[in-house]
Amino acid sequence: MPCERKPMRYGHSEGHTDVCFDDAGKYIVTCGSDGDVRIWESLDDDDPKSINVGEKVYSLALKNGKLVTAASNNTVQIHTFPEGDPDGILTRFTTNATHITYNRSGSRVAAGSSDFMVKVVEMYDSSQQKTLRGHTAPILSVTFDPKDEFLASASCDGSVAVWKIEEQTQVTSWPLLQKSNDVINAKSLCRLAWQPKLLAVPVETTVQLYQRDSWAQVGTLSDDLGTQAINVVAWSPCGKFLAAGSIGGLLTVWDVESKLCVERQKHEKGYTVCGLAWHPSGGQIAYTDTEGCLGVLDGLSSSSSSSSTTASSTTTKVSLWSYMKTPASYDDLFDDDDDRPMDEGISEGARSPAKNPGDEDDDDDLIPATGRARNRSAFLDDENSLDTGSLKQGLDKFVDDDDAGSAIVPPAAVAAPLRPVYDGPMPTPPQKAFQPGSTPAHLMHRFMMWNSVGIVRGYNDDQDNAIDVEFHDTAVHHAMHLTNSLGHTVADLSQEAVLLACPGTDELASKLQCLHFSSWDTNKEWMVDLPKGEDVQALCLGQGWAAAATSALILRLFSIGGVQRELFSLPGPVVCIAGHGEQLLVVYHRGTGFDGEQALGVQLLQFGQKRRQVIHGEPLPLSRKSHLSWLGFTAEGTPCFIDSEGVVRLLNRSLGNMWTPVCNTRDNCKGKSDHYWMVGVHENPQQLRCIPCKGSRYPPTLPRPAVAVLPFKLPLCQTTTEKGQMEEQYWRSVLLHNHYGFLSSSGYEIDEEGQSQAQKEQQELLMKMFALSCKLEREFRSVELAELMTQNVVTLAIRYASRSHRMALAQRLSDLALEKANQLQGEEPQEEEEEEPLQYTRRNTGSGLGRSGSAGGQNRVTNVLDSMMSSSKKPTALLSSSGSTGKLNKTPFLKPLAPRPKTKVQHNSVYVRHKSGFQLWLEDNRRIILADNPDLEETDVIKEAIGRFRTLSADDRLTWTERAKGQSGDVADMKKRKRGEEESRGDKNGQSEADETSAKKKKPVDTSAKLSAFAFNKN
Amino acid sequence: MDPSEVEFLAEKEVVKIIPNFSLDKIYLIGGDLGPFNPGLPVDVPVWLALNLKQRQKCRIVPPEWMDVEKLEEIRELERKEDTFTPVPSPYYMELTKLLLNHASDNIPKADEIRTLVKDIWDTRIAKLRLSADSFISQQEAHAKLDNLTLMEINTTRSFLLDTLNCMYKLRSNLQPGSSGGKAQDHQ
Repeated sequence: MPCERKPMRYGHSEGHTDVCFDDAGKYIVTCGSDGDVRIWESLDDDDPKSINVGEKVYSLALKNGKLVTAASNNTVQIHTFPEGDPDGILTRFTTNATHITYNRSGSRVAAGSSDFMVKVVEMYDSSQQKTLRGHTAPILSVTFDPKDEFLASASCDGSVAVWKIEEQTQVTSWPLLQKSNDVINAKSLCRLAWQPKLLAVPVETTVQLYQRDSWAQVGTLSDDLGTQAINVVAWSPCGKFLAAGSIGGLLTVWDVESKLCVERQKHEKGYTVCGLAWHPSGGQIAYTDTEGCLGVLDGLSSSSSSSSTTASSTTTKVSLWSYMKTPASYDDLFDDDDDRPMDEGISEGARSPAKNPGDEDDDDDLIPATGRARNRSAFLDDENSLDTGSLKQGLDKFVDDDDAGSAIVPPAAVAAPLRPVYDGPMPTPPQKAFQPGSTPAHLMHRFMMWNSVGIVRGYNDDQDNAIDVEFHDTAVHHAMHLTNSLGHTVADLSQEAVLLACPGTDELASKLQCLHFSSWDTNKEWMVDLPKGEDVQALCLGQGWAAAATSALILRLFSIGGVQRELFSLPGPVVCIAGHGEQLLVVYHRGTGFDGEQALGVQLLQFGQKRRQVIHGEPLPLSRKSHLSWLGFTAEGTPCFIDSEGVVRLLNRSLGNMWTPVCNTRDNCKGKSDHYWMVGVHENPQQLRCIPCKGSRYPPTLPRPAVAVLPFKLPLCQTTTEKGQMEEQYWRSVLLHNHYGFLSSSGYEIDEEGQSQAQKEQQELLMKMFALSCKLEREFRSVELAELMTQNVVTLAIRYASRSHRMALAQRLSDLALEKANQLQGEEPQEEEEEEPLQYTRRNTGSGLGRSGSAGGQNRVTNVLDSMMSSSKKPTALLSSSGSTGKLNKTPFLKPLAPRPKTKVQHNSVYVRHKSGFQLWLEDNRRIILADNPDLEETDVIKEAIGRFRTLSADDRLTWTERAKGQSGDVADMKKRKRGEEESRGDKNGQSEADETSAKKKKPVDTSAKLSAFAFNKN
Repeated sequence: MDPSEVEFLAEKEVVKIIPNFSLDKIYLIGGDLGPFNPGLPVDVPVWLALNLKQRQKCRIVPPEWMDVEKLEEIRELERKEDTFTPVPSPYYMELTKLLLNHASDNIPKADEIRTLVKDIWDTRIAKLRLSADSFISQQEAHAKLDNLTLMEINTTRSFLLDTLNCMYKLRSNLQPGSSGGKAQDHQ
């Protein structure tokens, strides 16, 4: 049953509305809280006729040219239709009537009121009234039995009652509904509907069917997708279908016989449906919502049904037939989930492919009318009561009844009424492209970008169309105010430039504009036109480059000065991109997501010297039913993203580039609708910088929002226990210090102090956990923990174990320590190479020539001299950076660590700063010299040594120099080990030791000797 | 005590600022401050905040109580109660003055706040005068006033103490005088 949901239009002011058709189905008649009744010739009628009937109209009914309305002046009035002349007052209540309805012939009107009464009034003699008393709360709705014998009513007291009209007695009553004190407080309007045999009662999200006479419940209609209470139900004129409208705006049509949902439509804005009416032909449903809008579902079935009894049985057949043939309707698949912030107009283009054009045409002639007309009429007007309890039988009976056993629907269709509606997983509308750190583009005042460098605000109101750029650190650049004549919608900001882009229009191409304020020449701006028809959808700035992803699925790279660089195709529509240093992170749609999920893919590219793709389009792991809301890098350069559920995930480079959840910002929210809007992530210190937004997802530009800092918290189990806490701390520390490895491997300067501190902290935590598990007699676990420790700490652990008289444990640990020591030696040659860059930079910073990082990574040609010059030029910057090079990372967004190409450093530092071959030689031979001349002063030792070194052969000297170069990587290591050695020595003084530990302690003592021996061998 | 001295004390109160520069932790006798990260709120004493503000190095985040709605509530309560109600900050008057004089551009609805705080101040001073008056007229020896701020005490202290001294002198002089008179009468 494919149908078309016509766009809605405003009919009334917001508030309760009701709708019905006139007898011929020529007009749609609506009423609303503005007190008007409007008569529409069709949905497109731009000039509907209006009749004012009161201050508010609660309900209306129309039959035989008489329009009955329940108005707020507590009366039920009659107007002529379509003229709209007043025709007297039918009845009065002490308060307003809430629902009125005609009986089938139009001879009577029933009205339920807030004064707990139901009145049944004869149309032609309003003095003939029957009052039904018994409800103990306002009446929600009333409906006539089609045979005029009974009347059903629902009330706020929670009951649905059936009355015998003539005797004015209650026949039966079911406590089905939730109690409330007034109609406006009731959860559902509970509009009842009666088809000859079945009374439909909306109960919560289902519709219960009760059988006339037996009053037994014979079935329930429900829909998996219906999560909100059903407000109104209405039978199709043929009585085979039941339409329902819910609070959440879901319109559902069931085939009652098969209990299958044959049509499902969602209100375009998800407003509450409060009025629902079938066209007398059965081919159209009109509905209204609480916002005063009127909508129509068209093309439900093809021809008239109940109005004529002849040949009408084909109707249902045809309609069934038609939906059997049509492919599953995808119409409803693309209903927006209304709570999405970003999906304004997400997928309007994704309308149904399944609207069957032939549907209207394949009417009566398709299947010739057979003798089933009788059958049909029997079905509609059957006098025989059915009192089988079971639905199946009941339904079967009322389908084929007494006649010939020929079902209306062919058996094949009964067996599988052929899944008229696709009810598998529903595709999710793909989320639109966005800039991380911006608020939605439709706002007049918005943040176009808020990152760790500054803020770009866009104003687009009557007076002004402008962009404000403001820097957190005024040392970067002063604030800028630009007129936005091009209509830029996306922006990014870095230490070097502001990048702006506007979508293309009919005349103008999409433009990319860059304000390169850090340029040293006088041209601070460049602009690029994109090819016709290609729009910039996302952009980002890195260090020395800019990137723009376009609607043509191309990612274009530019140098920061405006040179076009590489371009490549994206595998799908871009969602957002982010840059940092020489890394580019791209997130795009990998495919269609289902059931609220997005299918996103991610690529991480690395430029610079070794260009490579680090992540090759793997799926981006989002929380369930969420979308991406922020993407970027931490200040240290680790990719990071946040989804709409507030979960922050960080790339774990040491775990095969997997994403690890590190925080759930929603845990810190007080209210359910509060969110945190991310502006930056820092690993050292561990900070999530975000803006708390009360009751929204993003902040307003005014008053100026304040940044809050959230801590990281890995979602480990049992973090309330001491063990869990320490585990969380340990792994958090490990994860958040991963960036040291990455930075050093990609040639950045790193903060050694911070790194060693982090290592110390981790080892301390391990030791604490070790002690804890010892206390808990968990020796196996202790050994597991010891495996994570460094060798030095293992010796401590051994001591701890032996002191607490756990010899078995100590023994195991000593084995472990031995193994570690061996491993260490095995690794040394590799380490040498790996640690090279680390070593050089350490040397460099140690030289006391702190580099001012404020220049944000311009590649310097000659480092030492340059940095000296630049530091003297910028004394303030020097103050903050050179004073404590170790703290560089604490203000990282200020001073992104400049990439330092290894080769250049080598030139400067190895020869100038490094231990020369002579020094190495001296170290090795000092003991010999001292032994020879025990009373020499230090300077004399050196003199003596120089003499001896000179006596060596040229070849020997060369090897020493070579060694000095090759071995330099080990120096840091050796120092570390020496420190450890000192520690263990200090400890040793205090106590007598178990034998095996002393063996261990010797190890560190002679490692350096071993090392040098090793180095010697190599040469 | 001079009002300027009270103001000096008030300058030790802590206020949040958003710096637009970057600086590591600074170590002062009074305690460590910072680190300062551009764009990230940090707690500093008022004197530093004002200094930085004057040099256009930061934006000041007004204290939580410096908000029209909250102050209105306090004002209503102050007017309703006969006794002194607790004030949002022991230096509310001084802080308002300092922050509004130097950083009114960072404080939304600065003028309204100024009026409200002045209203609260006036109400409290009126109460103070009233209680001093009844204290003297009833010739009480003790009186206890809660929730007074330093500045409020300071405004009335010198005057009240001098007055009481003076009155004491007058009273104590009255006795010998009258008895002396009597003695003279006897003679």
